[in-house]
Amino acid sequence: MTRWLVVRGLQALLTFALVAVLLFFLMRLAPGDPLSRLSGEQQISPREIEHLRAQYGLDQPVWRQFVTWVASVGRGDLGDSIEYGRPVTSLIAERLPATMLLGGTVLLINFSLGLWLGVVQAVRRGTPLDRWLTAASLAGYALPSFWLGLVLAWLMAVLLRLLPAGGLQNPLLSPDAPMWVRGLDVAAHLVLPATTLVIVSIASTMRYQRRAMLEVLPLPYIVAARAKGLPERLVLRRHAWRNALFPVLTLAGLWLPILATGSVFVESVFAWPGLGSLAAGAVGTRDYPLLMGTALLVSALIVLGGLLADIAYGLLDPRIRWT
Amino acid sequence: MASAILRFAVRSGAWAWALCAPLSAQTGDPDALVIVTGQQATMPIPTCMEGPQNLTANSDVADQLFLRLAELPPDLVTTDERRFVPVLARSWTRRDSLTLAFDLDPRARWHNGQPVTAGDVVFTFDRARNPKVAPKLAGLLRHLVSVAAEGERRVVMRFDRVYAEQFYDATFNVAPIPSGLVPADAGPCPAVNPVGSGPFRWVRSVPGQFVELAADPGFFLGAPKIRRLFFRTAADPEARVNLLLSGEADATDNIPSPPLSNVERVEEAPGLRVVPLASPVLGYLLFNQRDRTDSTKPHPILGDRNVRRAIALALDRRRMVQSVFGRYGEVPYGPASRLLWIQRSAPAAAGQDTAEARRLLSKSGWVTRNEDGVLTRDGRPLALSLNYPLTSEARKQIALQVQEQLRGVGIQIDLQRLEGPVWAERRSRGNFDIDFSSATQDPTPSGLTQSWSCSGGTNVAHYCDPGVDSLLGRAITSPPGSAAGRLWQEVLRRIEADQPAVPMYSIAYVYAVSRRFRKAPLRAESSWLRVREWSR
Repeated sequence: MTRWLVVRGLQALLTFALVAVLLFFLMRLAPGDPLSRLSGEQQISPREIEHLRAQYGLDQPVWRQFVTWVASVGRGDLGDSIEYGRPVTSLIAERLPATMLLGGTVLLINFSLGLWLGVVQAVRRGTPLDRWLTAASLAGYALPSFWLGLVLAWLMAVLLRLLPAGGLQNPLLSPDAPMWVRGLDVAAHLVLPATTLVIVSIASTMRYQRRAMLEVLPLPYIVAARAKGLPERLVLRRHAWRNALFPVLTLAGLWLPILATGSVFVESVFAWPGLGSLAAGAVGTRDYPLLMGTALLVSALIVLGGLLADIAYGLLDPRIRWT
Repeated sequence: MASAILRFAVRSGAWAWALCAPLSAQTGDPDALVIVTGQQATMPIPTCMEGPQNLTANSDVADQLFLRLAELPPDLVTTDERRFVPVLARSWTRRDSLTLAFDLDPRARWHNGQPVTAGDVVFTFDRARNPKVAPKLAGLLRHLVSVAAEGERRVVMRFDRVYAEQFYDATFNVAPIPSGLVPADAGPCPAVNPVGSGPFRWVRSVPGQFVELAADPGFFLGAPKIRRLFFRTAADPEARVNLLLSGEADATDNIPSPPLSNVERVEEAPGLRVVPLASPVLGYLLFNQRDRTDSTKPHPILGDRNVRRAIALALDRRRMVQSVFGRYGEVPYGPASRLLWIQRSAPAAAGQDTAEARRLLSKSGWVTRNEDGVLTRDGRPLALSLNYPLTSEARKQIALQVQEQLRGVGIQIDLQRLEGPVWAERRSRGNFDIDFSSATQDPTPSGLTQSWSCSGGTNVAHYCDPGVDSLLGRAITSPPGSAAGRLWQEVLRRIEADQPAVPMYSIAYVYAVSRRFRKAPLRAESSWLRVREWSR
């Protein structure tokens, strides 16, 4: 198993390095650079642009920029954002908690409620409840997240004034307010973006779980468990559901990057100060250091997600061999 | 099962509602003002707001933290120093046509309690005039050759030439900062908490969310009635409008339109009032004067003034502007936004005249039409590309109408909707036929030299008319008064006649302000400059 882990880990590292190199050169190949937009929007003269280009090292050949960048990354320095004039690592560190909070909440609800509803659907296959849940979840899946977000914000924040329309916290709330009040404030701000993301994403978890359960339920060991006289709840929970979890684990691994990126659209509609909106802004401004920083984080999480899913599979499924 | 889910939802809602009640008690502050804007200030320190940091958000916050020596008069005329409003400088005298002396208000203090000195002003202008520190500011202050202190309270500024906007240059472009707040030499400004001399002092910045300022109770021009001031960030226009309509923000700048429905939603809200204000924005179709493939040659189609003029006359600009901006947009005369004082006495822009457009095209040999109805000359179709950035909904909507209206007179327009950086790169390299540009202009008409003089730094279309250059030079150096006004009108008239561009729109920014603020003056050149005078 150790050998497998080392080999798989090295593969993951190699994949990550290749992705990083590809990302670097693809970004430089794209037309326009971080300063070209200034000439259009701010009507800054070419001479000033050249001055700024030299200041940010963008006048160097791409290979030299690459060498400089690799050396910096080797030291753990992702460079300074051109747009914000601050270290990329600190920008990411500032925004990551908000995204993790939103992504984590959505994943938690998605995988608790989604798995439960998937099991319920499988057990009550063909009933009106199954059909109703299928229709509702697929309808949610089909909705564009930004549209749903806007509707919910209008309804709950503008019309009914029950929940905040956006942001992560009320700016008027003093930083000295009791912790539970500040926590409540954040929770209130979290409701609408999290609900939006759960509605548009829960269908896939439900469908995966329903399908996996339907495959497991007719298998002989389930029939045997029932024949032994085990209570149906025990049969479902201990024998059927555990075995039906494997396909969903893969899904969980693939969902890991969402923890870091959130949803660009939902973050935007609810002015959620997360990493997704930071990365989206960096795309529009070609802020190379910030773009590379966020892209590296996402790449790392995708690779890590795949690795963790493989490990979890190996640990949970006795049919998998560590070779 | 369904009823269980329903019961669960109702109970959760009731609990949440009960728990949220204490929040409203903790967050009510009638003396607070929350302004929602599209960007967050990242470096609101004068002389540090260069290049990518040259953001409206930075200027908005800097305006609260740092005072200028003097402020523009209400009519924004930039040439009459007698009408500027004293702020950090209590008074000023003109020693000769090249020298100005400012006497600082002795009551002025930095937020750390230290007095504002002439040395601080000299420090600031030394940074501002250094092209390695602040290339843009250094360009704007290129005629300011020396700034010296005479004692603790007097600053003497000397210029290298006589021109009407010396005082404007000395006061508007940069507000003094305390010596040592940032390093004197070149290099990026460090992230420091700004210490200023303005009505509000810095409290905190919560990244991606808001900047908090607090009124300085000892502000020498009178403590602001607004006790806490927040600049809240929401990049998405719909999110900004929702924050406003839900009562979570008290004011916003420039409610984005199109769609006009955003403005209409705010107009219908009983707790808000809409305040339109002249904006510095000018949208125009810029004609490339040179061949896009070989810039040494004139443009094969747009090098002809008749064609440029025909394009302008073929367009019903008023209808287009009305359809996109409603009553908040107008067609400008010449390349000057509403913010510029010279626009106020300008004549109305020419209306649509398709018969004259056809006549001009015919005069230039564009007579026969091909099977697509496009005019041709020597077998070459009258086809042009029109570049615009995909981030601008207004330009997209107008570009579609331009395409349709020009089709009516036999001109084929290929729309090129480009990603922002790509559009900007093509523009700066002169790789376009027609570029749908948008400029954000300073209050000074002198800025017109940048784009419309032969050696203008941002003259990407290579427009060059020595007559316009001569007029610009005379208008800039003429003394304040009607002569200067007439010369500026002549500049606009001559550019209109040459038609290097078709001015498409000049808009008003539409602000929204909560009705709980009875007194809420706004300024066109700097939206929130007078928040210090706001009251309930």
